[in-house]
Amino acid sequence: MSDQTQNLGDAARANFERFARGEPIAVDVGEIERELGSLWQQASSAGGSQTGAALARAALWNLVLPTRGREELAKTKALVDAIAPAVPVRAITLCLDDAAGQSELSATIESNVVSRPGGGRVVYSEEITLVGPAGAEAHFGAMVRALQVPGVRTATLWMNTAMPAALLTRELLPVTHQLIVDTASCTGPLHLQDLQRLASRAHPLPVADLGWLRLASFRLLFAGMFDPPVGGGPLRSATRLEVKHRKGGDVSALLIVAWLGQLLGWRPLRSAETPAGGLRFDFERVDGGSVEAFLVPGAGPCDQSAILSIELASGPDEYVVSRDAIDEARVQLPIAPARTVKLDAYSDADICVAALGPRGHDPLFARCLEYAGRLWSLEPRNADRR
Amino acid sequence: MEKIAVPSSALPNPLREGLAEERIPEPATMVIFGASGDLARRKLLPALYSLTRDRLLPARFAVLGFGRHAQDDDAFREEMRRGCEEFARRRPVDAPLWAAFARNLFYQQGAYDDPAAFQRLKTRLEEIERTLGLPGNRVFYLSTPPSAFAPVIRSLGQAELAPQPAPGKPFARVIIEKPFGVDLETARALNRQVHEILDERQIYRIDHYLGKETVQNLLVFRFANGIFEPLWNNHFVDHVQITGSETVGVEGRGGYFEQAGSLRDMVQNHLLQVLSLAAMEPPVAFEADEVRDEKLKVLKALRHIPESDFDRHVVRAQYAAGSIAGRAVPGYRAEPGVNPASTTETFVALKLFIDSWRWAGVPFYLRSGKRLPKRVTEIAIHFKEAPHLLFGRRGETIRPNVLSIRIQPDEGIALNFGSKLPGPAMEIAPVSMEFRYGSSFGVEPPEAYERLLLDCLLGDGTLFTRGDEVEASWSWVSRIHRRWAAEAAAGKTTLPAYAAGSWGPEEAERMLAADGRAWRLP
Repeated sequence: MSDQTQNLGDAARANFERFARGEPIAVDVGEIERELGSLWQQASSAGGSQTGAALARAALWNLVLPTRGREELAKTKALVDAIAPAVPVRAITLCLDDAAGQSELSATIESNVVSRPGGGRVVYSEEITLVGPAGAEAHFGAMVRALQVPGVRTATLWMNTAMPAALLTRELLPVTHQLIVDTASCTGPLHLQDLQRLASRAHPLPVADLGWLRLASFRLLFAGMFDPPVGGGPLRSATRLEVKHRKGGDVSALLIVAWLGQLLGWRPLRSAETPAGGLRFDFERVDGGSVEAFLVPGAGPCDQSAILSIELASGPDEYVVSRDAIDEARVQLPIAPARTVKLDAYSDADICVAALGPRGHDPLFARCLEYAGRLWSLEPRNADRR
Repeated sequence: MEKIAVPSSALPNPLREGLAEERIPEPATMVIFGASGDLARRKLLPALYSLTRDRLLPARFAVLGFGRHAQDDDAFREEMRRGCEEFARRRPVDAPLWAAFARNLFYQQGAYDDPAAFQRLKTRLEEIERTLGLPGNRVFYLSTPPSAFAPVIRSLGQAELAPQPAPGKPFARVIIEKPFGVDLETARALNRQVHEILDERQIYRIDHYLGKETVQNLLVFRFANGIFEPLWNNHFVDHVQITGSETVGVEGRGGYFEQAGSLRDMVQNHLLQVLSLAAMEPPVAFEADEVRDEKLKVLKALRHIPESDFDRHVVRAQYAAGSIAGRAVPGYRAEPGVNPASTTETFVALKLFIDSWRWAGVPFYLRSGKRLPKRVTEIAIHFKEAPHLLFGRRGETIRPNVLSIRIQPDEGIALNFGSKLPGPAMEIAPVSMEFRYGSSFGVEPPEAYERLLLDCLLGDGTLFTRGDEVEASWSWVSRIHRRWAAEAAAGKTTLPAYAAGSWGPEEAERMLAADGRAWRLP
C-alpha cells in the first residue's frame, strides 16, 4: 500500500469517527450528498457488525434554517441538536457570515444520532451547514433545492427578521411546505406587521408561530374558565381586559388581546398610551357595549411567552389567570376557590417540534396576526410610521 | 317579543377554537369503590394526578374514595401521595400542585352492601359538590373484588345515586373493572343485574389494554392509510400471531389466579379484544357503538373449536421452576396460595378461525403465559410468500413479510421485508422498517388508565367493552373451560410443564409445526 493510499484511508477513518460522534466534517459544497452517502455506508457497516442490523437514515422533514452571523449559527445548531431526538430531520442550516474571510460557500456535514437507553442507537439524521459571506444568499435557493430529501416535506424556520426577505420569498417559499416564524423575536409591534406581510405572501402555506405556540398554555388555562358550567356568557359581556407582560413582551400581549378581540368580535376603536408606559385599547362589543383593554408592562417570573397574567372583568365578576412561578399559575373564577395549576415549561426545541406537528397548522393564528396588525395601526406612537 | 334568557352555561365557549384537541371534561366527582386497594394507589390516583398535571381534568374535580378500611381524609391523601410518587407518569410529584389536587381528595368508610353506608356516601357527595361548586356529575369506579360489583350497583340504585341519563341532567357513569364474570352464565347474570339499575350507556367495562396507544393506533394504521387495508385479508395474509407474555408469576395473587388461569385472566378479555380490533371490518364512523358493533361481529364469527380436534387447537401448560432475568424462580405449584396439585393453566396457546369473508382459512394463533422470557404484547401479521420465488432457486430462504404491531413495551410497528445485499451475487437478507413511538414522536405515550378515565369523563365509550361483546367472548371461551372441566371429571387432564424463562411447552411449538409454521420470537 502506498503512503498516499494509507493517508487517504486514515483520513476517511478519522472522518467517519468524527461523523459517528456527531462532529462537523468539512466537505466540498458540490460533494455533500456523495460524502454523506459514503459516511452512512461506513456507519451502517460499523453498526451492522455490532448489532447485526442495517442502519437507516431517517428524515420526517427537511428543515431549512437561515441564520446570520456565527453567534446565531451556534444557537441554531444547538436547536437542531435538541430537535433531532424528537423528530428526525435533514437540517439544512444556511448562514450569512458578514465577517467570513472566504468569498465562496463552505459546507460541513454531521450526524445526529439518538441513543436508546442502554446505548443502542435508534435514530440517525443529518445536518448540513452552508456558510457564505453577504451576497451568498443568491446561492442558497439552489443549494436547498439540491439537498432536499425527495418526498419529504420542507419546513423553513425564519427566525431572523434581519435576513434578506428575498431569500425567503423568492428562493425558499416555493420549496417550503411549512413556514415557521417567531413573533417573540420581534423587537416591537412594527416587526409584527413585517411578519404579517410575510405570512400574507406565504399564503396558502401554513404559517406556524413559535410565539403563538408558547402562548398556548396560558390561552388554554384562560379558555378553560369559560367551559360549562360558566359558559361563554361572561365573555360576551366583558367590560375590561388587562394583560400584564414582561417588559419587551408587548408583542405577546398584543397577540393575547388580538386572540380575545378576534374570537369575541370586538371592533377596535382607538388606542392610547397609559401613564404607566403601557397601552390602552378601546373596543366595541358585538352587542354595542364597550370594552377597555390594557397592556401593562411589569416584572415577575416568566418564561419566553412573556405573559404574567390575564384578567377579564365581566360585570362584578373577575376571571384571572396569573403566573405564580415560571411553571405555575393560579386560576381564579367567581364560582370556585382559586387553584394552582402547573404550566409546562417548553424549550424552543419542544415548540419547534410542536410547530412541525398538527399544532403548526392553526388558521386562528393568521386571523389573530392580522387583527394584531390592525391594533398596532391604531397605536398612537405609530402615526408617523404608517 | 319577549326575550328568553339563555343561561350563561348554555352559551358556547368561543375561546375553545383552535384548542379543540384538548378535550376537557365537565366538572365531576369520581367515587372510587375499593379505594384502599392496590389499583387505586398504583394506577387510578397516579393517572388522575398525571391528568391534572397535564391540565386535562376540569378545573373543578373531586375524588371520593370509598372502602371498608377505616381511615380519614388525611390518611387517604397521604397514601395516595405515596402512590403517585412511586407510580405516576409525571414524576416527581409537584408539591404545590399536589397540595391543590389533594384538597379535593376525600375518603368515606363503608361496606358495599350496606344501604346506610350508601346514604352516608350520598350525603357526603352532595356536601362536597356544594362546597366545590360541582354540578353533580359522577363517575363511580368499581375497583373492588368482582363479588362486590352487583352489590355496589344495587346499593347505588337504592340510594338513587346513579339515575339514568336525561337531557340537561348531570351524568352518572360506572366503570367496572375486569373480570366481568367468570364464564358465560355469570357474565350474563351480571349484565342482567347491572342493567336493572343502569342504562348500557352508563356502563364502562374497562380493559386497560384498549387504552394503550398502539391499540388505538392499530385503527389509525388500518383505516387512515390506504396501503395496508387492501392487504388485510385472506388473499395476502397467511396467518396472524397474537402474543401476550409476562415475565412475572402470580405475584402474591395465587388465590385469585388459581380460580382464573390464563384463559380467563388474559385471553377472554385482553387478547380477544386485541384480536377483534385487528380483524374487524372498517366501522362506518369512529364512534363508540359503530366500532363496538364491528368488534362484536368478529367475536361472534369465532369458530367454535371442534371437539374431535381439540388438542390441535388448544394447548395449556403450567410453569415449572426456572430462571427469569438471571434469577431462579419457583414453579407455579410452589407459589404461595397455590394448590400444590393445581391444574390451573399459566400458559395457553390457541389456534382459531374467524368465519368471515375476509378471514376465511386464515389461522389466528394466540398465546399467553406467565414466567415467559420477556414481557411483550404484540400482533404479528404474517403475509403469504411471493407467488413465484424468482430469487429462491439456489436454495436461499426468503422469509415472508411480517408486520408486527408492538403494544407493550416500546410501542411501535415494524415491517420486515427482504432486501438485496450489496454485491454482484443475488443474496437476500431480511431488513426491518420500524416505527417506534418513543423515537418517532419523542414523547412518552400516556398511561392506559389516563386515557380511559378521561374518555369515561368525556362520555366516550369507544375504548370500553360493551355487554354483548363480553358475552360473545365468554361464549367462545366457556366452551374451552367446559371441555377442560369434562377432562378433569374424567381424570384426563393434560397439563404439560414448561420451564420458567422458556417460551412455553413443546406442545405449543408442535401445534404450529403441524401447520408448517413456527411461533415468532417477539
